[in-house]
Amino acid sequence: MVHALSEIKRVLIPNGILIDLRPVLDRWQIEVVSTREVRETGRMQDFPLGLADDQAANKSVANAAENGWFVREREEFFPFVYSWDSPKDMEEWIKEEWEGFIGLDEESNRATRSAWALADGDARVQVRINMLITRWRKRKSELE
Amino acid sequence: MSIQKDTEGNEKKYLHQFADFAGKRVLEIGCGEGRLTWQYAKTSRSTFAIDLDADALRVAAIDKPSDLHNKALFIRAESERVPFAKEAFDLAVLAWSL
Repeated sequence: MVHALSEIKRVLIPNGILIDLRPVLDRWQIEVVSTREVRETGRMQDFPLGLADDQAANKSVANAAENGWFVREREEFFPFVYSWDSPKDMEEWIKEEWEGFIGLDEESNRATRSAWALADGDARVQVRINMLITRWRKRKSELE
Repeated sequence: MSIQKDTEGNEKKYLHQFADFAGKRVLEIGCGEGRLTWQYAKTSRSTFAIDLDADALRVAAIDKPSDLHNKALFIRAESERVPFAKEAFDLAVLAWSL
């Protein structure tokens, strides 16, 4: 990761902008949503591997800042929603794409399935991901 | 399996609040299938998007809107060895890849 940031520093012009956009584990909220209501049904589980990835990314950008490569200008969190037709679709996605990083505990899974089954016909299942966006500016020189 | 991503449109909104892409030479790292690239490339001067996943890059090439034909180029490359000269870009986007 530090190597990637070093490469970005190399190919950016002085004062060039780096946008770092990434999800941050935070026991993401699971919801069943229909035109009538939004119901929270549980939280995802954060696994050690996913948390370690977040820590490594944070450490890399902290190192890049300490090395004088970039200056942090602005940072915010925002929600990014993944939405599926059914709980089964969500479970498949989690297994195929997120396995080892985050998981779904039995209680949240049961609550989601139940809420979806009882909801209106247009109900969908969604996970509200916590996204971090940061704007960095490359220093003109490391002595700046 | 049917999935929709960013149903509230926040990613595009925040991306444009944080960066002005107009007329810029942009490097995107971790472009995948180009979902994020389509959100800004049109206003850029040029966009080079890299990823290691050849299958995802193939999808990006197929999905590329016709008005981005000469503006957005997808390249298979590692983020640790970016195949461009020093100071070639005004703006870089690390897309879900740090």
